Amino acid sequence: MSGKGPEAAAAADLAVAHDYLAKVMGEIDEEVLRRRSSGDLPLRVERELDELFLKYSPMAGRDGSLEEALGVVEAASFIDPVVPVESSKPGGALVKQSIRRASLWYMGWVVHQINQFASATSRTLRVLDDRVRALQTEFDAQRVLPAPVIETKWAHGPGAWWVDRVLETIAGQSGRVLHTAAGDGWFVRRLAERELDAYGVDPREGRIDRAEVEGLDLREEAVLDHLRAVAPEGLGGLVLTGVVDGMSAAERDAVVALAGRIIAPFGRVVVHSLSEAGWTSDDAPVEADLASGRPLRSRTWATLFGRAGFEVEVIDGPGSLDYLVIAVSDGGGEGVHSTR
Amino acid sequence: MKVVFVTPRYGPEIMGGAESASRTLAEHLAAEPGFEVAAYSTCALDHLTWENQLPAGDTDMNGVTLTRFKVASERQEEFFKFDGKLRRSPRHVSWEQSERWLDLNGPQVPELIAALRSGDADVAVFSPYLFLPTVAGIRSARMPTVLHPAAHDEPALYFPAIGDAFARSDALCYYTAAERRLVQRLYPVAEKAQIVLGIGLGDPIEGGQKGGDLLGLGDRPYLISVGRVDDHKGSAMLDTFFRRYKEHRPGPLALALVGRVHSTIEPHPDIVATGEVDEPTKWDLLRDASAAVSPSAMESFSLAIMEAWEQAVPVVVNALCEPTRDHCAHSGGGLWFGSYRQFEVVIDRLSADAELRRRLGASGRAYVQEHYQWPALTARYARFLESVVERGASARV
Repeated sequence: MSGKGPEAAAAADLAVAHDYLAKVMGEIDEEVLRRRSSGDLPLRVERELDELFLKYSPMAGRDGSLEEALGVVEAASFIDPVVPVESSKPGGALVKQSIRRASLWYMGWVVHQINQFASATSRTLRVLDDRVRALQTEFDAQRVLPAPVIETKWAHGPGAWWVDRVLETIAGQSGRVLHTAAGDGWFVRRLAERELDAYGVDPREGRIDRAEVEGLDLREEAVLDHLRAVAPEGLGGLVLTGVVDGMSAAERDAVVALAGRIIAPFGRVVVHSLSEAGWTSDDAPVEADLASGRPLRSRTWATLFGRAGFEVEVIDGPGSLDYLVIAVSDGGGEGVHSTR
Repeated sequence: MKVVFVTPRYGPEIMGGAESASRTLAEHLAAEPGFEVAAYSTCALDHLTWENQLPAGDTDMNGVTLTRFKVASERQEEFFKFDGKLRRSPRHVSWEQSERWLDLNGPQVPELIAALRSGDADVAVFSPYLFLPTVAGIRSARMPTVLHPAAHDEPALYFPAIGDAFARSDALCYYTAAERRLVQRLYPVAEKAQIVLGIGLGDPIEGGQKGGDLLGLGDRPYLISVGRVDDHKGSAMLDTFFRRYKEHRPGPLALALVGRVHSTIEPHPDIVATGEVDEPTKWDLLRDASAAVSPSAMESFSLAIMEAWEQAVPVVVNALCEPTRDHCAHSGGGLWFGSYRQFEVVIDRLSADAELRRRLGASGRAYVQEHYQWPALTARYARFLESVVERGASARV
């Protein structure tokens, strides 16, 4: 008896299937490279086939398709001056052959130069590709990962001190209210109970499955990607919990700028964040150590939102382990209030 | 609750695609208690001509009250020229040009739009995004509207009048998360009520015949491609690739193209174009195939690959099609090709390796069983519609 439940067994089977698929596709890609270098398919034919493949392709390419694109460029960079002479008309092939023979010296001279140019261009693109790859490697080593969701038992759940305060703040708000990170939708459910048109976003894989079954509008998406796709003044409220604490400076700037654009007049943005003390507490999750940023002081958020045209209130939590920033869009003005 | 589905074409004659998906969803919803489902469509069967081929009027189709309206004018040749012109630079198409494109694309069904305007349905559901009844219907309907865009990354998706239809709709229903990512990359609609639903599958209704016999191939192994045989769906590319493949591999492997033919398929001893087939024939053909190929780069879901997986048949998809490639990557049930070279190697591997076929088919079947079974999907969709109706229609200025 393994003791595994059916869900765990299904997840294990899926992981095996993913590994197997990755292995097979890896072998296929290797074989493609081997055959391409073997020269068993005339370049002209390969180019025509690849052009046909791309004829009805999407407007934007997939990520990571540079290698494929370069392959197509290379296949297209050879121009064959030896024109096909097959013909369905009697004597047509002979006529074409004569024309080809008569013009080949000229066509060959021109095509030779074009081929040289195309070949040089193709080589240049390869050099650029190598440099981009080198930069990518360097960039990856220093890459700032998207901010993880930072949640603690005491600050992120139905029993947390700020829940009723936020519900009170958002109550009666017109327009949709977004909660992120929504997890299994516990706070979205609370907002819906207050007759608010609420939905949730969570960037963590697999967190929303159960909630979707319950009929809540929850989505698995990166937070900033989602905010960028919201219509101007499209939200009546935005509640951010567990997502801003570990953000980089650039991500925080983006949150404030986006909030200024997507929150309707008199709409509310609520930021819940751990303070420095909460962040370094023993029960903070390991993601706190791995995050690229550290929590801002509450008054820094207040200043940022104030500059963006929000009226701001700051509320510190018990023991100053966390805090709320409530920013109300009023179309201008600046002001900061503090409550303890 | 009264729901009206609006599609340019409707009926079992339309195999695969967004219209077929809408019909099956409408029929399953009609079986839910408390739902009264209608469908508005045209008398056309051919999306290239919009010729009126079916009688106008009301009829009952599997629990759905279907009203067919006559198309006022068939598609003009001018459309294809104009479409070709706009395709060159779709991001720079003006509002007027996109309105003109929609008028020419049609189908022109003013009576359908008038019926929507005066209708008493609680919610109107439109699909796909590409046609005039969807765009004009969303503008005119008084009730809340749900758009099932069936979007793929093609020039028309970038036209401003299309973006306006997305903005005006009250809610969105996507087939895949990849489709949602695509739409949200282009249009600020993330805050709208929405759901990623997919399409449900019923139990296969097999006819009890051998696929090879139905195709006249006997015991020869064959690849199958189910759906409209159309250049835009990658059929010409698949046809060319397979011919090329067979030039150097004169073995028994054949290709069956199953669906209404809109492309020219020259006769070939290893290629069978069946035209439209009935459901039992389709399931028999799928069951006995070595693999199912979806060559289209423009799928928003692909019911065809789900049906292949339901029969535990591995699939091969176009690497540039994000939704179908995502299905393969998430399920572990299929391979993809991004060039002729890759197609050749993929088919070689699948032809030679029965264990590979078995494992991919089994993974695909598990994926379909977990995510795309009708009862759960219909229940989710019913809850979604209830929430849309509760929220009401936004002001459409």
